[in-house]
Amino acid sequence: MLSLENIVIYRDDKPLLQLSAEVAKGEVLTVMGPSGAGKSTLLQAIAGQLQAPFSVTGQIKINHVVINEIDAHLRKVGIMFQDALLFEHMTVGENIAFAMPDKAYKNKQLKHDAINALLVAVELDGIADRTVNTLSGGQQARVSLIRTLASEPDVVLLDEPFSKLDVALRSQIRSWTFSQLKARNIPAVLVTHDKDDALAAGGNVIEIL
Amino acid sequence: MFTHITLVARWCLLLLLCIPVLAGLVGVIFPALGYFPAIGANAFSTQVFATLFGLPDIWQMMWLSLFTGIGSTLLAVIAAFCILATFYQSSLLGKIQGVLSPFLVFPHAAAAISLLFVVSPSGIFAAVTTRLNAYFSHAFTTPFVNEISEMALPAANDGTLLYDSLGLSILIALSLKELPFILLMTLSVMSQPLVKKKLTGYVKVGTALGYSPTASFFKLVLPTIFSQIKLPLLAVLVFATSNVEIPLILGPNNPSTLAVAIMHWFNHIDLSMRLLASSAAVVQVAVSAVAVLLFFGIERLVTYTGKRSLSGGNRYFADAVLRTCGFVIMAFYIILICTGVYTVVVYSFAKQWHFPLLLPEGLTLLHWNTATSALTTPLINTLLLGVLVSTTSLVLVLFTLESEQLKPARAVAENAFSVSLFLPLLVPGVAFLYGLVWFQQLVFQNAVWFHTYVAHMVYVLPYVFLSMAVAYRKFDNRYAMVAKSLGKTPWQVFYHVKLPSLFSAIMVAWALGLAISFSQYLPTLLASGGTLPTVTTEAVASVSGSSTRLTAVYVIIQAVMPLIGFMIAWYMPAVATRRRSRQMLVSDTHSNRSADPVQ
Repeated sequence: MLSLENIVIYRDDKPLLQLSAEVAKGEVLTVMGPSGAGKSTLLQAIAGQLQAPFSVTGQIKINHVVINEIDAHLRKVGIMFQDALLFEHMTVGENIAFAMPDKAYKNKQLKHDAINALLVAVELDGIADRTVNTLSGGQQARVSLIRTLASEPDVVLLDEPFSKLDVALRSQIRSWTFSQLKARNIPAVLVTHDKDDALAAGGNVIEIL
Repeated sequence: MFTHITLVARWCLLLLLCIPVLAGLVGVIFPALGYFPAIGANAFSTQVFATLFGLPDIWQMMWLSLFTGIGSTLLAVIAAFCILATFYQSSLLGKIQGVLSPFLVFPHAAAAISLLFVVSPSGIFAAVTTRLNAYFSHAFTTPFVNEISEMALPAANDGTLLYDSLGLSILIALSLKELPFILLMTLSVMSQPLVKKKLTGYVKVGTALGYSPTASFFKLVLPTIFSQIKLPLLAVLVFATSNVEIPLILGPNNPSTLAVAIMHWFNHIDLSMRLLASSAAVVQVAVSAVAVLLFFGIERLVTYTGKRSLSGGNRYFADAVLRTCGFVIMAFYIILICTGVYTVVVYSFAKQWHFPLLLPEGLTLLHWNTATSALTTPLINTLLLGVLVSTTSLVLVLFTLESEQLKPARAVAENAFSVSLFLPLLVPGVAFLYGLVWFQQLVFQNAVWFHTYVAHMVYVLPYVFLSMAVAYRKFDNRYAMVAKSLGKTPWQVFYHVKLPSLFSAIMVAWALGLAISFSQYLPTLLASGGTLPTVTTEAVASVSGSSTRLTAVYVIIQAVMPLIGFMIAWYMPAVATRRRSRQMLVSDTHSNRSADPVQ
């Protein structure tokens, strides 16, 4: 469970946005608002990747543990961006293996099987050895999703992840994403401009003004 | 018309890069094979090579060159990556760039001499350690009391790092000089807009997946940018294996590195030594080629083991060790710079300076007076040559870059061009310069300035090109398209639209060309036959003289000259924009006074 308690985001000591919310496991909180309102900054704050001139006060808790002081790479918060950002110097399988926790699998064969299981779940079986550049936009988006899930995060943040996909692809990948998150009981925060995304997410919606 | 001029410039650039190097190589291959009509050797044979390999020290010289070259490059590369991995996300990065940038344009000779002062048995490191020693054994001795007799003075070769037969002094000096170059070059690759965007994205994802900053750097950032820094790294490697200044000043003499031996043999009074020197020059090219092959081998190995570790999922990458190394290396550099600057500056004003004192007994301006009178001609030569070389190469480069956009070449030609750009940097100077001089003597015998100019151009052109190319290609071409749609000719677009917006990049490239010309040692010495003294040649010559103080003055002048060039480069664009905005202000007030007729 993710709790945001009295979060205020400042830009150069001027408050940009404030909110309090709770996201239960398997639910998606949608944050909507105009450009520049601070939505992406909110996600950066939760992930621990805030840069100057932004700062944040308030408490961020994951499963009742305060994570404000924890380093970004130790928070187990996954992010998905607009761009798939798959690593081009690795194959699809290596990208996913890279994301898996260290020593999570006893041997290479088990790891291999786990990667394939993930790929099957998004109807991409058999492409583990393909280079990233040969994939289409939709395929890259799906691999990016299972890569984030492979790292077994406690929370997933989605920064307008569907906005670069065309309309037909969008709804399919959207439903895959939400069903995977629900199946793994991961709380998520979605930032978007699109009302359909909010509807599909099915959780609370917060409008930043 | 303008298009044709730029095309001609492009060919001139290409020829200037390739011909001297290739001619130089031919000029050493022939004597190496025994053909040297000037001394009566008219037949081709491999006898010279046999003589060369019959020398007792030859293998040791080759090994010394190879060892110092590869060792120093590897050390510099690993250290640079340590620093980057530690600081690439911190706000200190800008400061580090500032601290290390002056190092870049510091001539190799000056760096070697400063290191010599600092590390020598009578230098500041030895002084400080002796004092600490004495302090702990004589608890009441103050640092400035002349109690020499009670302190154990080190013997001439006691624990000294210099002139050691393993070549460690050369290795460390070379890696100290190359590290800033590698670091700053990697940073400039990382800050290109498209690359930067991709890398920022990668690092964000890596962090979100749980990888520490150090691990993200080595697993995500490095593989992405390494292909772009490979060619410059090879240039560094070749330079390290074939450099003359640093082994000359800091290295062992029996045997020396191959490059130094080549230089001595070419300058030998006995002209038949020329044959030996030429064959050694060919061997030097082979040694550098072996170094390059070893580099590729190491790269393959690292890539192979690295790929396997990528799928392993280890979130760390020797974090504690590497971060400590990063901090330690930076601290070491800062200490070195401070002690080096202190020693050199104080020496230039010193009267008597006995060993373990930290301050000399008196200050004087004598050395500066001597130096300025001795250096007037060399200084004028250096400045004239520098300005000439830098300005002409800048013009050539700008026209070439413009020609690339006006008339793009085919892919094959593009690749050939990139290779020829690096040709002067990948072929050891000590090898082809002597051959080049031989050709130059055939053509115009007394045109000393022309020959030195050509020798300098060969080295300045690649750097000026690389520096300008980045800025030129970043230029948003839509401005040019708009200008063309307004009816401007290509020349007008170039002169009125492109040049003004690239002004600060042009000034920086000019200052870089100046700095490189200032620091050339071997090309000046050889092409002019020693008749054209410059600040650098005088400085190296003075090391074997008896006055450390005079050498210190020379070093300071050597170091200050490129810095002045960069200050001009930084200041002029600011002046230009101020003048432009003042003009706009004036014209604004004008138009407010009188009503403009409607047209």
